[in-house]
Amino acid sequence: MSNDIESRLKAALRPVAPSTQFSEKLVAQVCAGRSMQMRPRRLAAARRPLAWWLSASLAASVLLGIGVHQHLQQQRLQQSGLEARREVLEALRMTSQKLNLAYEAVKSQSTPPADEKSGA
Amino acid sequence: MNDAVGDVLDEHLARARSGERSALAALVQAHQRSVYSLALRMLGTRDLAEDLTQEVFMQLNGNLASIGSNKHLGFWLRQVTTNRAIDQLRRRARIQLTSLDDEAPLFSDSAEPDHLLQRHLRALLSELSAPARAVLLLRFQEDLDPTQIAATLNMPLNTVKSHLKRSLDTMREKTAGLQPLRCEDNSP
Repeated sequence: MSNDIESRLKAALRPVAPSTQFSEKLVAQVCAGRSMQMRPRRLAAARRPLAWWLSASLAASVLLGIGVHQHLQQQRLQQSGLEARREVLEALRMTSQKLNLAYEAVKSQSTPPADEKSGA
Repeated sequence: MNDAVGDVLDEHLARARSGERSALAALVQAHQRSVYSLALRMLGTRDLAEDLTQEVFMQLNGNLASIGSNKHLGFWLRQVTTNRAIDQLRRRARIQLTSLDDEAPLFSDSAEPDHLLQRHLRALLSELSAPARAVLLLRFQEDLDPTQIAATLNMPLNTVKSHLKRSLDTMREKTAGLQPLRCEDNSP
């Protein structure tokens, strides 16, 4: 049986010839040095990586766009925050100046002149 | 392939390398049967086998300069075909082998006594792993010895021998109850 299976395998696996049509086309195309027109099924399979890359590129572009937009928005917010802070500080500085002036005025009015003190 | 044919094909190869198209055509015709059969039995469908055969010969067209003899050409073609087929099989979870049924009809009027057993053997072959299938095909279709198979598949010799032993044991086990069948013509 051991040689039996081997001889049967040899018989079962005898080389088979491709169809005449394919054979003729193959010889012609190989000699012309160009690829045969693929079947639509294979073409679709061949295009699959391209489609994948296109989708991936598109997704990456969208994500990049969103990222850049968010970054710019954050920068704008930060800029306006800094501007507001500067304005608040300026307002505080001006308020402080006014208060100082008012304080000086009040202080000068509430202090009696020196001759009034001595006359009393 | 005898020496005389080998010498003629060596001449064809030399002429094909220098750009003679008819010589290249002769080489393609001489080797297409082997390449196509390997591709068919590795991949299981005619469409895939034709595509792979075409790819292999197109690759050959660009590599003619590196091939020294017809013997080397045979080795190169078997190596490229089996490696590409194994790669394809690894990329795909499962290949349906339906079209192999077309290769030999279930009932035949030919004198071949055991078509059913042969179909069964081919079906069993399709259940083997890709490397084991390649080993069996190179052994029984291409008639290579284990050393040549190891060189073709770039596989250790012991691995080749173990694939052969395991595959044959499995096939013996699974065909133990089958006897060669002949479809008798019972028509009145």
